[in-house]
Amino acid sequence: MTWLLPEGGTLQFKGLDQPLRILRGLGGGTQGQVFAVELGAPGSGEQLALKWYFPSCIARDPELRARLRQSIGLGAPNGDFLWPLALLEPQEAQPAGFGYLMALRPDGFVGAHLHAGGSLEISLQNVLKACFHLAEGFHQLHLKGLCYKDISLGNLFLEPGSGRILICDNDNVDIDGQGQGSVLGTPGFMAPEVLLGQARPGAASDLFSLAVLLFRLLSRHDPFRGARELAIRCLDEPARRRLYGEEALFIFDPVDAGNRPDPVEHSAALITWPIYPRSLQQLFEQSFGIGLRQPERRTLTGQWKQALARCLDQRQLCPHCGQETFLDPDAERHCWSCGGALPKPIQLQLPHGRVVAAAGNELQPHHVDALAGEAIDQPLALLVPHPSDPSLLGLRNLSQHTWQGQLSNGQQIALEPGRTCNLAPLQRLDSHAGAILVIRP
Amino acid sequence: MPFPNVRLSNRPLHFIYLCDCSGSMAAQGKMQALNQAIRQSLPGMAEVARQNPEARVLVRAVRFADQAAWHLAEPTPVQQLHWRDLEAGGITAMGAALELVAGALQSPPMEERALPPVLVLISDGQPTDDFEAGLAQLMRLPWAQKAVRLAIAMGHDADLDVLQQFIGPEPAGRGRSPRRPLQASNATTLAQYIQWASTAVVGAASMPASRVVMPGERPAATTPPSGSNIPLPDLPPTLLDPIDDVGPLVW
Repeated sequence: MTWLLPEGGTLQFKGLDQPLRILRGLGGGTQGQVFAVELGAPGSGEQLALKWYFPSCIARDPELRARLRQSIGLGAPNGDFLWPLALLEPQEAQPAGFGYLMALRPDGFVGAHLHAGGSLEISLQNVLKACFHLAEGFHQLHLKGLCYKDISLGNLFLEPGSGRILICDNDNVDIDGQGQGSVLGTPGFMAPEVLLGQARPGAASDLFSLAVLLFRLLSRHDPFRGARELAIRCLDEPARRRLYGEEALFIFDPVDAGNRPDPVEHSAALITWPIYPRSLQQLFEQSFGIGLRQPERRTLTGQWKQALARCLDQRQLCPHCGQETFLDPDAERHCWSCGGALPKPIQLQLPHGRVVAAAGNELQPHHVDALAGEAIDQPLALLVPHPSDPSLLGLRNLSQHTWQGQLSNGQQIALEPGRTCNLAPLQRLDSHAGAILVIRP
Repeated sequence: MPFPNVRLSNRPLHFIYLCDCSGSMAAQGKMQALNQAIRQSLPGMAEVARQNPEARVLVRAVRFADQAAWHLAEPTPVQQLHWRDLEAGGITAMGAALELVAGALQSPPMEERALPPVLVLISDGQPTDDFEAGLAQLMRLPWAQKAVRLAIAMGHDADLDVLQQFIGPEPAGRGRSPRRPLQASNATTLAQYIQWASTAVVGAASMPASRVVMPGERPAATTPPSGSNIPLPDLPPTLLDPIDDVGPLVW
């Protein structure tokens, strides 16, 4: 690759009191190139990433500089965005153009396309967590009055071991309804009204793209590739415009079965869709059904958060095959993977939620506090198996407070921070935030 | 437990090099430069293929000199491809090369469903056989009409009119365009164009990239310009020979 900035070189930028060392080029795309840079003393300075634009990109997007300034001023919606930190303009005439500083993407995060392509080991729980974080990120972004305009698999990164995410390429972010930024979105993710040239991207089209991205993460398939895709020989631009715009039809549309997945070509969709509870499936049917032509009817970020958090609460491990299941624990259910009947699980009743007792499930602040919005990054407690006898399930206190437990024989125990109590004899646990009752089937 | 072992079904993307191996390619290390450029481009091409869940990138190559023959006959996944050097010697049977490719784009052997194929024609001279007949035979095929057709002119002796006919109608205006023959008058520029074709263009043909509108343009058109069914990415910034792309030198 030919790099726009000299690797190993040091450059002075307006507004930076220290020179910036270009450590190495990290990659390039259609807009520009990204470099690892160091600000301050060599070897001990701050390591950051610098995105530098191609002149062609600057020329076609006259509002880019102002938009970046605006985003830098407003600040990141939350920590899941690799947000622009500072606009960099060179002090000298060379190099021409400008760029912006952001944090380096930490090791361990991989492109979401690897998951969609089936080449990533990740648990269903962590995929659902990633989806929750994605909905949360867009929730915060939209609450700030901003819109993203171009979300796709290409600018989402995942940490497979935790379900954490990073949203990159935030340079199209703008105040919703303002500006004439040049980006329209990515075909396959663009809302039909944008693809067909009837609207500019904004928060309403973000909701459509978000639904597509959530579907692709949860299903490893595409919401519109069913029978109608099979009728297409050459999948080129005009074909995509029909598939995702003019003739778009959700493959699981509850009324119109005209675009159902093919059992062979689209097996991914048929295998993964039954994993998820009706409450979650209905949100997709809404966004891809009536929401296809009526942007105001699309599933809102808050609805996604609620349904995804509920899904995580319902996670139960199949006693026959060990797979993760997510269906409503109060109904008659069978494992999507092995078909075995799922027994009614032990559940933990909290003031504002109910969580299935399964290793890896977590109790969250919103389960005890009606005013707390759904959040999963600071759990109160974690269900864990005993380290030497995995058949014993315990509840670990992740808070800073000592909790009081009551056992079925009336005995009281104290559960200090970081300690785990066996669930088998436990009747109730009084946490600092509220009571946890053990409900046995 | 891991996410179920499923993935989005993908489609083949056929990428075919048509390489001029006539005697003139032996001069000034042009043949070696082309071999190097293709070999160096393979890791980047493999990375694009890896990042793209929707495509199976399969590479083939035709060599043409006194006659045309498959240099790499088997559609080979780019990750498994080891480039064997081409050797120069003979005349320029470009028309025969197009006929050979036409045979490959017929169904069968062409799959019923695929992504648009990418054809890259590289030449430094003039065809010595019936180019028109070969092109006509190729362009009768729907898959050839749907294909992204690119041409790279090595040096200043290449027949730009012939290469333009292969690409299709010339775009309006002047200046560099992927819908014109790309002039590579030095090894660095050649390598940049080969890299561009094997990464950016493969990406565009297989997985849609972000769409932009030009300032002042109405967003109504996410339709690519007429004569193309795939929007082509920007050309790479290259080291230009000052007399590349200036238009005809004498008329």
